[in-house]
Formats: sequence, C-alpha cells, structure tokens
Amino acid sequence: MQERVVKFISALRTMGVRVSLAETADAFKAIEKLGIQDRNQFRLSLRATLVKDAADLDSFDELFPLFFDANTSPPLMDLLQDLSPEEADKLAEAIRQMNERLQEMLERLARGEELSQEELEQLGQMVGVSQADDLHYQDWMSRRMEQALQFQQVQEALQELMETLRELGMDEERLQQMGYLMDQNLDAIREQIRQYVGSRIAENLTEPNREDGIDQLMNRPFNALSDKDMKILREEVRRLAAILRSRVSLRQKRAKSGQLDPKATIRSNLKHGGVPFEIKYKDRNLKPKLVVICDISTSMRYCSELMLTLLHAMQDLISKTNAFAFIDHLEFITPDFVGKQANEAVDSVLVRMPPGYYSTDLGYALRNFNSDYMDTIDSRTTLIMVGDGRNNYNDPQAETFRTMARRSRRAIWINPEPQTQWGTGDSDMWKYAPYCNDILRASTLSELTNAVEKLLN
Amino acid sequence: MTFKNTQDVKQALNQQQYIASDEIATIMYLSQEIGKPLLTEGPAGVGKTELAKAIAQATGRELIRLQCYEGLDETKALYEWEYAKQMLYTQLLREKLNDTLSGAGNLTEAADRLAQEEDVFFSMRFLLQRPLLKAIINDQPTVLLIDEIDRADAEFEAFLLEVLSDFQISIPELGTIAAKHIPLVVLTSNNTRELSEALKRRCLYLFIDYPSIDQELNVVQLKVPELEPKLARQAVEVVQRLRGMDLRKSPSISETLDWAKALVALNSNSIDSKTLENTMSILLKHESDLSKAQRRLRQLTGEPMNPDEDDLIGGIRWQN
Repeated sequence: MQERVVKFISALRTMGVRVSLAETADAFKAIEKLGIQDRNQFRLSLRATLVKDAADLDSFDELFPLFFDANTSPPLMDLLQDLSPEEADKLAEAIRQMNERLQEMLERLARGEELSQEELEQLGQMVGVSQADDLHYQDWMSRRMEQALQFQQVQEALQELMETLRELGMDEERLQQMGYLMDQNLDAIREQIRQYVGSRIAENLTEPNREDGIDQLMNRPFNALSDKDMKILREEVRRLAAILRSRVSLRQKRAKSGQLDPKATIRSNLKHGGVPFEIKYKDRNLKPKLVVICDISTSMRYCSELMLTLLHAMQDLISKTNAFAFIDHLEFITPDFVGKQANEAVDSVLVRMPPGYYSTDLGYALRNFNSDYMDTIDSRTTLIMVGDGRNNYNDPQAETFRTMARRSRRAIWINPEPQTQWGTGDSDMWKYAPYCNDILRASTLSELTNAVEKLLN
Repeated sequence: MTFKNTQDVKQALNQQQYIASDEIATIMYLSQEIGKPLLTEGPAGVGKTELAKAIAQATGRELIRLQCYEGLDETKALYEWEYAKQMLYTQLLREKLNDTLSGAGNLTEAADRLAQEEDVFFSMRFLLQRPLLKAIINDQPTVLLIDEIDRADAEFEAFLLEVLSDFQISIPELGTIAAKHIPLVVLTSNNTRELSEALKRRCLYLFIDYPSIDQELNVVQLKVPELEPKLARQAVEVVQRLRGMDLRKSPSISETLDWAKALVALNSNSIDSKTLENTMSILLKHESDLSKAQRRLRQLTGEPMNPDEDDLIGGIRWQN
C-alpha cells in the first residue's frame, strides 16, 4: 500500500501538482489516523494533505480511481451454459461459417472469456501505449487497441452471426437474448481495455522523465522552444512569479519617500519619548496600472504568453491590467483571463480571430486602440508593448503610438530582437523607439523576468 | 473537548446548526489529530468563517479571530509594547526609583541596580496582546481563526509560518514563548491571490464549494424553520439557478438565508414574479446582475425547472 501511495504521489507530480516531502509525510500520518478501510475517508485524507490548489483537484480526482480502485472490469457471461445442446450446436455451426480470426473473437464472446494479461500487453505494445504519459490519451489508445482487435468487423460479424442463426432456425426470443449477452460481453472487453490503458498510463506517469534542465530552458530563445519545453516553462513561470512578487511587494511597502504619516510617526516614536527619530511615510499608491498590448502572431506567441502569465500571477501588485492582443487587428483579452491560465486565454483569443492567413498589422491594431480603448490610458498607466515591431510593410502609425505614449506615465517596449536587427527587413522598430521611455530586450525567459521586475520598479 | 471520530465531528457541528459534509468532517478531524492548521478556500459566503465559529462552539473553546487586511503587520497581529503605559509608570514610580538608586555609590552601581529592575518594565504587564499571542499563551485550548489570509501581504504570510509550524513566538525582551495548548487553527481564503507554497505546505486543504440543492435546503430548513418546506425548496432552486448564471457576484448561502427570512417576514406563500422583483435585491448586489436575473427569472417561475434548457448556465466563476 505504501508503495502504491508513493507511486500515486509521483504520478500527481507528473500531472503538474506540487507535492512536497512534508506533504507526503502528512499523507501517511493521515492514513495512519483514518485507516484505509473507508475508501471515501482514505480519499479525503490524501486529498486534504496532498492537493493545496483548487485547480489541481480535478487532476487528483482523475488519477485517484486509477490507482486505488480494484481493477475489476465487468464480468463476462458464459452463454453456452445457458443453451440446450442443439442450440449450442447451431451456434458452433454459425460461428464455423465465419473467417478464422473473427471466429476466435466470437467464440470468446460466446464463452465469456476476458482478455488475458499477456494479450493486453501484446496489444498495448502494438499501439505503443508505453509512450503515452497523459491521461488525455486514454480514450484514443483504447480505441486503437479496439481497432487492433478488429472490433468494427466483430460487430458486423455479430450481426451476421445472428442472421445465420436465424436461418438455422433459432428461436427469435432466445436469439434476442443471446445477441444482448454478446453485446454485453463486448462492452465488458471494451471496459477491460480502457482500464488496462488507464493503469498503464498511470504507471508511465510515475516515471519522471525530465530531459532538459530548467536553467538551460530559461536561457533558450523563445523561437527555439518546443511545445514540451513550453509546458515546463509555464510551471517555472509560476515559481518565478512568486519570487518576484515578494521582492517587489517588499519594495512597494518600504516607501522611502512620500507624504509624512503623522499618526504612524508619533506612534513609532513613543519609545523615544516622543522625539521623532523614525519618520514614517504614507505611500500606498505605488501600484501601477498597466495597459499591455501583445503581438500574438506565431513568431511572438510564446513571448507574449509568458509575459501575460507573469503579469497575471502578479495581479495583487498591480492595481489594474488591461490586456490586448493583436495579429492583424486588436482584441481586448482581459475578460478571457477570468479563471483561466494565460495559454488558454491566448488560445481562446486565437479561436475568436477568424481562420485564414494572417499578416501582422501593428499599425492597424494601434489605430483600433486609438479609436476604441484610448480611455484605458491615463497619467498613472504604464503602457507596455510586447512585440518585435515587424509590421509587414504596413503603415506604422508611429504618430498614434506617440499619442499613446504621451498620455501614459511611461511607455515600455519589450522586444525579443537585439538592437542590431531593428530596422532590417519589415521592422519599424526605429520609428517607435523615440517615443518609448525604455526598450527592454527579452528573448529568453530569464530576460523577460528581469524586464518584468524592472517594469514594476 | 476533542472529537473522537469523524461522525462525532459531524454531530457536534450539527448541534451548532452547521451542516457539515463528510468532507468537512473528515478533514476537520484530521486537522485535530495531526495538529495541522486547516486552510479553507472557496467562494465568498459558503460558510468558511462559520465553520470556525461552529468548531469553537462545538468544542467549547474560545474563538480568537484575526481579520487580515492589506498592511497588517506584527504589531497588529502578535504583540506591541505599550510605550505610553510604560512611560506613565516610570513617571509615577519616579520616587520609588530614586529610593532604589539613592544608595548607589557610582554610576555603574546605579545602572546595575536599575538593570535588576528591568523585568518590571518588560513584562507581560506592558505587553498588548494581539490575537496570535493570545491564542498561544491562553491557558485553555482555543480555536484561532485567521480570516481572509489572502488579503494580507506576502511578508505577513511568511511571518505566520513560524507561528503555524512550531506554535511558538519569540519576543526579544522575554524569550521564546511556546503554546501551552496547540490551538485549532482555521485559515480562510477567498482566493483573490495565490498563497505561498510554504504556507500551503503547512496546512491541510479544504475546498468548500457552493452546496448542492439538498444540502442548501437542509441549511435553510435548519436556520429558518418557519419557512414552508415547499417554498423553501422553490427558493433554493431559484438561488441555485442564479449561481449558474454568469453574474458579477453569485448569491452566497448567507444571502439565501436572508432571503428566506425576508420571504417569511413578507408572508409570501409562493415565489411569483412580484415577490421576486421586490426581494431580489437581497440576493444580488449589482445593478447589472439584478436586471439580468429579473429578465431571466420572470420567464422561469411557475415553469418546471429544467437545467438542460438553460442557455445561460456557464462555468461557475468565483473570482471576486
């Protein structure tokens, strides 16, 4: 049991749930107290000690039955016991008329014999179940195993079999009954396969296989990232955000300047007999308001997404964020973030934009902003552009950008390209550059993190 | 009093008019047994704070509450020296001090004598006890409720770690004070921001969601027994339906109860569109929500409830 729980925990980790050693210890303490007889209490004691985030509860609920439900597939029924000798003969005769492989399968169904472990392993190997390490693949893998067993043909053959039996003069009511039982058996085998795939995937999940070191990934340029790398980086962003958050919030709190706070000053100086040694300042309005405009065309997607994730994770340090995304036109994406991760939000925006060939048009997006959302920028707002400034030879609308930059407290451009590449090809970066208070280069996650920290200064 | 098993927790809470699900009872029991704080999360108004109150009542312990807010620091949460009182005492005791110091031959001797009396000025007498210290040094076991921890700053969370894992507090002038009895700690969070991993690691986690129809009906019948059962069911169905809608703020259980009380006070015998219109503002607190819901519910009252047909039901949101 102990081993099973440890395996379960490592599978949870692979699913992206953070479980520390201390929490593992707690889980065992809890099991000690409540025992494992009552399945529900056992489940709850694991859940309360291991999962600390409402978003991870789903993963837990998905994984738990795979590890702790006794793998009992529904029983298959033996039809033959129930048949009179001549009925059995007729059945055997009908089956004999089928081709060989189907014969085997049908006999199995009639006898109510489930797949053996070796047969399952063999099938699993055929469809490559050992490579699957995500529960989303469960249905797909099961279907592929069914295909390998020629379920489609078996079902057709069943129909045919019934026909043949009818011709052989089997009683109609019996026939119906038999057909029903055969179908049941087929479903049972299907369920058996599903469970086998589920438990195999669960096992695969327990074997950690992280290939790249996170430090390496932090410094890899965005355009060299694979989807898998991105998955790891998304995790990493959460951790980075936490670090960044405490650093920035300390800085925000310890105001070194601002208005004198007489009450706090008198209070803290009572210990000096009322002589004001320690001066306290009142300054809690340091939280910036942000307007973020992100390029989410293919070249810039990862950069924008990680940027939005970072900002989203730091909501409590920012008084308000309005996020926009554009490829050829501008979309307001703040509502998409409600209850979602940044990548899902970006995806949902991509769904909204009609399918077809896109050409980035920064100028048009800026014009959109100018006419619809200009009121989101005021003198307290920091304007952040995330993009490479490549405009597909469209009108750059630098004048519009100038207006936006002047309205805001400061304008910051986050660009993955080095300065040497600005102005080459379709890049209009030099046209925007004069109006920016700061241009930060962020081509890797670690550079991006530095940029975000600077921006909250 | 301590709980003997999960059933015991459930019954005791029931007696306090708090209907606990198996989940709540089990995790509460675990928290007592392992001595770990309980972190509850969930939408506003599902009874997270009530749980702590009910636990305190059920166990007969004193409830000590620390309400968190932005800018909360140690002096508000833990302790503060009462400088004003110290000054006052020094003034009043000046003569006595003169007596003590009068015989001293030189400055060093005088200082030594004064040092011997130092304890008088840095004793519990001059210590303003804030909730955390109170819970730690209490002679009786207590229930410590740290409410809305997500409103406090990240540093405060870090500061809590020492208290929550070792149940001891260090005061430089007095030394380390360890708890006589480990309090039952309940933290609540509305999830307005992510809590730190370190804090979560030290707690058991309980997610309380909006209750199901039957659970909520139980609560309503328990707390507002005057309401006719049929009407109560209808009322709860309306509330559940409202939660399914895409509103800025979904009605909480406490609001359901307020509404039920209002229905009793108004002597309503059915929930028709007129009653709804008059009382809806008890459930919904935003103008836009009100108009949206009224439009929707007017068509629905009287009709059989069929959630499948409801096109407004979206994913439940609870970020506030």
